[in-house]
Amino acid sequence: MSVVSSQPARSRNWRERVLGNAAFRFESLLVLATLTAVMAFLSPVFFSVSNLLNIVLSTSVFGVLAIGMTFVICSAGIDLSVGSIVGFSGVVGALTSANLGLPWPACIVGCLAAGAFAGWVNGFLVTRAEIPPFIATLGMLGVARGVALVLSNGVSIYGLPPEVVYLGQGRPFGVPAPVIVLLGAAVVAHVLLIHTRFGVYAQVIGDNEAAARAMGVRVERHKVMLYALSGLLAGLAGLLFAARINSGEPTAGLNYELTAITATIIGGTNLFGGRGSVIGTIIGALIMGVLQNGLNLLAVQPFYQQIAIGAVLILAVWLDRINSREGWRR
Amino acid sequence: MRMGMLKILVAGASALALTLAVAGSASAADKPLYGALMKTLANPFWGAMEKGVDAGAQEVGVDLFMQAVESDQAAEPQLNTCNTMLEKKPAVMITAAISSTNLLPCLKRANELKIPVVDLDGNLDPAITKKAGVDVAFHIGSDNQAAGGKAADYLASVLGKDAKGSVLVIEGLSGNITGAKRAHGFADELKTAAPGLAIVASLPGDWDSLKAANITNDTLQRYPDLAAIFCANDDMALGAVEAARSAGKDKLVVIGVDGNVNAVKSINAGRLNASVAQLPYLVGMQAVETAKKVLAGEKVAEFTYVPTLVLTKAALDAKSDPLLQYVK
Repeated sequence: MSVVSSQPARSRNWRERVLGNAAFRFESLLVLATLTAVMAFLSPVFFSVSNLLNIVLSTSVFGVLAIGMTFVICSAGIDLSVGSIVGFSGVVGALTSANLGLPWPACIVGCLAAGAFAGWVNGFLVTRAEIPPFIATLGMLGVARGVALVLSNGVSIYGLPPEVVYLGQGRPFGVPAPVIVLLGAAVVAHVLLIHTRFGVYAQVIGDNEAAARAMGVRVERHKVMLYALSGLLAGLAGLLFAARINSGEPTAGLNYELTAITATIIGGTNLFGGRGSVIGTIIGALIMGVLQNGLNLLAVQPFYQQIAIGAVLILAVWLDRINSREGWRR
Repeated sequence: MRMGMLKILVAGASALALTLAVAGSASAADKPLYGALMKTLANPFWGAMEKGVDAGAQEVGVDLFMQAVESDQAAEPQLNTCNTMLEKKPAVMITAAISSTNLLPCLKRANELKIPVVDLDGNLDPAITKKAGVDVAFHIGSDNQAAGGKAADYLASVLGKDAKGSVLVIEGLSGNITGAKRAHGFADELKTAAPGLAIVASLPGDWDSLKAANITNDTLQRYPDLAAIFCANDDMALGAVEAARSAGKDKLVVIGVDGNVNAVKSINAGRLNASVAQLPYLVGMQAVETAKKVLAGEKVAEFTYVPTLVLTKAALDAKSDPLLQYVK
């Protein structure tokens, strides 16, 4: 089982050096393995390369959101606006090419910039206006969705540049492009969270904001960057969403913030801050992907799928509670 | 102490396995498998469509693999479900897409796998599918334009050809093609059927009964002598009729579209005046029957419009129309 030491990453073995000391929750990997085994046992189609890739593909959009969420949550914040930002950024990206006729890089930049901007506004509201994150981002949830609907007139904007569509539908070396984007983002985010000052400070702020301030961390500036990062990743998710279906949909990403938070928490990030793990988050997202895929293959009604996902969330956190009672600090 | 954790995990896993083994019962392997991807089951219209697809599958003797997503807004989950369904290699994919674009990548892949694609309830736009290079075997559904027209004809028959007065139209979700077609069909036909009736407002009710009720209340403030309300679906019509009744406007003619269970109840209770029934049950059934023809190599029409039926208290009491059996 993972042992979280309170010392910085002065690592002794390769595992700690690569994965960092804030290792993911081992139980979540156990849950993933068990689920996979159960599904493989129940459906012969489940354990094929094409279906496994299909699972990661389904996970890609909310997986990217969950990565951003990991940073915000481990700093003891929350970002409820990411689902709306998916719709907002996708519409902005689609407008740059479909309405303004700009070349394809503008579409990508448009998505990412729209997301980062919305995230920056969140950060500004949280730090400068001192609005609690729950409320600031809840407001942004409404505003971003509304702006997406206004910009698009409530209609999906079909037809993105082929280069952008490739990001969502292409299969370099047989692997769906969104899967590569997700894994790339995960690797970068993991390094950022564990091996850079940026990530460590985020966790320190989440653990004890006053102590972080006393240490000389510029907490406000750091928080703005964390929310902007979450927004940027939501913009990336919006780009993937739009590219997958070749259109900017104003209703894209509805309720995805809850999926992203669930994946993050299942992965072992502490909802009250101080501890976060990108690897754990990816495992959490995969647990939900496997569950959804398996239940779909078994033709289980979607109503039951929601029950199953809720139950897994509770199970994962319960396991964590048992562990912390056994002396796992934080 | 570690045992406690493992126990919970094992208990959880076995509970899940057991539930799934019961829920997803295996089917006979010798019959061809038809895939049907619906929008949502949390709506009487789609519930009836589902029953029709089911009945059609039983009638033509095929196995059915039917899935839906949690809501009719879940565009990406539906795409994921569609991809998952392809893993099962069905003989045909009968799909009711949430938007005209969200399933296109999956349908394209179905084309590559030589699995015919059926557009259930006309959610795909032929112009867009052609642009995307997706080949649709056939579209089946109701003619929404004609449904709106029938509502206008009914209104003219109740109030008279020379009636004068103001009419409120409550549209569907703004930007949704189905709602727009129904509203246009109604407005176009009303011009010739009863030129004295003027549409004073045409507002989006977002398929939401409460929103329709609010719109009705607001409009009644301004036009207390409103003669009729046409709503692009039954849920909104039910909201409108309740709002009109509580405002004391019992004479107000309210018409919906869909012919769903709740609308039939309201019509029988003498509240809602009429609903243009779309017969989703029949649409679902015919979709499966026609899909079988396609697989047998027969030529089928690109568009099949399933007839609609104006439900009124008189029609429901008379029980004479054979199409009534498909009103579920």
